[in-house]
Amino acid sequence: MTNRRLRLTPEMADKLTLDAEPWLSCDDCFHLVDQYVESLLSGKDDSPAMRAHLRGCSACHDEAASLLVLAAADLGTDPAEALQRLTR
Amino acid sequence: MTTRGAEGALASVVASDPADGEWVRLLSTPGPGHVEALQRLHELLLRAARQQVSRMQPALSAIGRVRQDDIVNQAADEAMVSLLGKLSTFEGRSRFSTWAYKFGILQAAVEVNRNLWRHRDIPLDAVVEPLSTGASPEQYAEATDFSRAVGMAIEQALTDHQRRVALALLVDDVPIDVLAERLGTSRNALYKTLHDARTRLRAHLTATGFLPAALTPELTR
Repeated sequence: MTNRRLRLTPEMADKLTLDAEPWLSCDDCFHLVDQYVESLLSGKDDSPAMRAHLRGCSACHDEAASLLVLAAADLGTDPAEALQRLTR
Repeated sequence: MTTRGAEGALASVVASDPADGEWVRLLSTPGPGHVEALQRLHELLLRAARQQVSRMQPALSAIGRVRQDDIVNQAADEAMVSLLGKLSTFEGRSRFSTWAYKFGILQAAVEVNRNLWRHRDIPLDAVVEPLSTGASPEQYAEATDFSRAVGMAIEQALTDHQRRVALALLVDDVPIDVLAERLGTSRNALYKTLHDARTRLRAHLTATGFLPAALTPELTR
């Protein structure tokens, strides 16, 4: 059987070699994400491990973005600036 | 209940939600306010699930509105069970509503991806064929070199398992929970595999001069 050949674009190469240090697991991210999005909404970003994890895990990042939007609505805050910090 | 009806009910519920410290007591102790607290919590989880499904909307065109509503309700129900099992872990580091939403969001994301990938195969037999695109001839040449180097590093530095997982997640864009389900593992375990794969690739690319040494973390194994 012949293996399927994938075309590796520069964007894929960047994702494959992304530096996601310091290490944080998805379970730890889930444990901390509520506190983290609220700190982003208050203008703080004091967790390098969360930032690295959300850069490296698209599933956790996508869910954190949803959570941030809901938390902002409850706080009556515009989520735009915090969303930018989340995705940079 | 219609979406608009549910949102209207939620607005009135949120206004009278218990204080953060009261939620755990009301939800865990049968008595006055217990049933109402469960109902309010379910409405919060519906809101969270609806937000996540809405966020994933571009991928959902193949799924009808009725099925999407089913996914929202099913996700809220399952999130409710999961949250109540972990109620004692709420430490008050965030608002209770923020803490609760994350359960609904996670469950909705898992349900949506499970539906989208239900009938799709996930081939894990890929090998890399480098391709590059760049704006200028210089960028094109650089991208070609780096993409080719990454392709070679994948073949030379990764285990079979690391290669399969990394390519499925980052090249074929298979959702991590779908891949975890097919492989009988967890999101956590797959992310660890991906993290280790990235570490090995970066170390290999540093050794071959494609990445600067200062930016490369130490190999963990």
